[in-house]
Amino acid sequence: MKKTYWLLFSLLVVGILLGACSNEDEAQGAEGDVVEIDFFHRWPNEPRKSFYDDKIKEFEAANPGVKINVDQVLNDSYKEKIRVLVSNDELPDIFTSWSDSFAENLVSSGRIMELNDILSDDTEWSGEVLESQFGGFTFDDVTYGVPFTVDGKAFFYNKEIFEKNNLEVPQTYEQFIKALDELQAAGYETPLVEGLTNTWAISHYLGTIFQRVVDPAVLEKDYAAKTGEFTDKGYVRGLEIWKELTSYMGDVSTAIDHEAARNMFAAGEIPVLYMQFAEVKMVQDASDFEFGFFNFPEVEGGKGDQKALTGAPEGWMLSKNAPPEAVEFLKFLTSAETAKEFTTVDGQLNAINGGVTEETSNPTSLEAYDIILNASATAPWFDNAVDINVADVFMRGGQDIATGVKTPEDVLQEVQEAAKKLH
Amino acid sequence: MILKRIKIIPVLFLLPSLLFLGVFVYIPLIQNFYNSFFDFSVFSQSKEFVGFKHFIELFNDKVIVIALINNIKYAVISVIFQVFFALVLASILEDRLFRKFAPALRVIYFIPVMVSISVIALLFSFIYNPQMGLLNSFLELIHLEELAKPWLGNAETAIYSVIAMSQWQSIGFITMLFIVAIQKIPKELYEAAEIDGAGKVRNFFSITVPQVKETMFVNVLITVTGSILVFNEPYILTNGGPGVSSMTLSVHMYQLGFFKDNMGYASAVATLIFMLSAIFAITQIRISGTGKDD
Repeated sequence: MKKTYWLLFSLLVVGILLGACSNEDEAQGAEGDVVEIDFFHRWPNEPRKSFYDDKIKEFEAANPGVKINVDQVLNDSYKEKIRVLVSNDELPDIFTSWSDSFAENLVSSGRIMELNDILSDDTEWSGEVLESQFGGFTFDDVTYGVPFTVDGKAFFYNKEIFEKNNLEVPQTYEQFIKALDELQAAGYETPLVEGLTNTWAISHYLGTIFQRVVDPAVLEKDYAAKTGEFTDKGYVRGLEIWKELTSYMGDVSTAIDHEAARNMFAAGEIPVLYMQFAEVKMVQDASDFEFGFFNFPEVEGGKGDQKALTGAPEGWMLSKNAPPEAVEFLKFLTSAETAKEFTTVDGQLNAINGGVTEETSNPTSLEAYDIILNASATAPWFDNAVDINVADVFMRGGQDIATGVKTPEDVLQEVQEAAKKLH
Repeated sequence: MILKRIKIIPVLFLLPSLLFLGVFVYIPLIQNFYNSFFDFSVFSQSKEFVGFKHFIELFNDKVIVIALINNIKYAVISVIFQVFFALVLASILEDRLFRKFAPALRVIYFIPVMVSISVIALLFSFIYNPQMGLLNSFLELIHLEELAKPWLGNAETAIYSVIAMSQWQSIGFITMLFIVAIQKIPKELYEAAEIDGAGKVRNFFSITVPQVKETMFVNVLITVTGSILVFNEPYILTNGGPGVSSMTLSVHMYQLGFFKDNMGYASAVATLIFMLSAIFAITQIRISGTGKDD
């Protein structure tokens, strides 16, 4: 009896194994010349998810024999997941990446494809991508990514409220504070707001403020992990500016996220909000008033370029082992046609020549596009520019300054300690 | 032949569970301990041996102190509410007066246990919302506006708001365990006490509490080790903020590892968490002397 059981058991095991093998064989046999491309992006939300799903279908229809497996997760999860994927050979063939230190980290894995030859072999395609946006993806003269979306951060202001209160667009930080005071006097208890639970929103502020206040040479030294000290007096000044700005944001801001802040702006409750141009369409869809933008105002006595714009492109990267078809897909995703359609559907501006025109964008977006193209310099997102260990202390410290738990000096001291550990 | 079979079959029965425990518990545990002696990043496979550096760093990390205090607050409050309050709740539900409503109430108390923590966190972020949250609106309604605050955005209230949500969610589970224990108490004990003239409160302290001692011990163990490991609630509600005011050890560990890419140090924090929960569990088992009563 026992023997029969054993026999049955062994047969079962062998059967399962054989089944598994034959399945694999079949799968390979049926594929034949089908090339599979793994595609990973960070927009499981609309309208972009459908946009890319459509693009995949279009590409598959035009290229029989290519199958694209797509996967997508949202922003913060994407950052975590791609970090894990890049540490082993599971890296998808084509995926999205931010520029600067985020891209540099990915590149340091040695698993990202160098694109110099591909770019120079097909100048018809690569020539259409704005030259100025490649910087954040180029390390030691090797380019590892193709920029696609461009972005910038500016204060969005409610034109109606500004007109009603006879306010001019502030040019200097002093004028800005005066305008905020006047708005407060006019009954806007919190003339400025931010969702401080999103630490990245704090990093955007701090990045811009430091860029305006601190000497660029000092910034360059401090932003590099190996030489960062953060002992310059400018940082204290910068954090004091942050403290002053948060004093206009009220208690509420410490408990809400950026989306809530955006909704408050779109509802006309808040006259000024620091936002990305990528958000133009969302605000337009939700609001019924006219709004304009102004760059972070000049800071008197600041040592940085007072006209620089904070903002960085996002783009696509390829895995070193990606098949040639993935390169074709990359070109397809960054073609002028795709770019035009993208901006029409999504509203976000792109880095492709002819991708942003009157046809694809409304005047407000075009105004934003102009600001991006004409910025005297661009500063990367702060949390991408410095080591995350330092950025985290700054961002959490930014919350603590807003809630009044810590002083700028306290925070800076913690930053210095964190920076020292990286040496 | 027969002897051999007898030896092999128990081993075969044990094998699957041993295999699973080994692969998913013991090997990772040992590997984590090993990892905490290295500096490494998820971006690369190369590890650099640093000896006890990470463990020394643990003592200089201010965030660890804040996190530890928060975990202790979590444990103390959870023991008070989830163990003592749940026991009171259970004995009230088992009282004759409530016999009619008890089944319905049991279900009501147990429902939060079955709801996913993400959903609950979302619900509570509405309750705590400073602009339109239920809690602040309620305070306004009863003219206590001055008590209204941005609960999750205030460094002093954030951790307590997170803890409060946990209590709301978990009390039903512990109550259920106590109800089962109370139902096992022989009815004769209560009858005898009644004849002797004992009231309800006396019954509770002299019969219920001693009789459910074993369950109480298990529940204290569950809540205390749970409090040391707590991750979901603070991670979803506040992500440790504002600043690091509502940081717990697990959230700190997660952020060190996956956000700051400091895997070696995160492993050291994980080792600390393991040590703490092990020490708590062992002392509790020693103090209560489980199993010796019978």
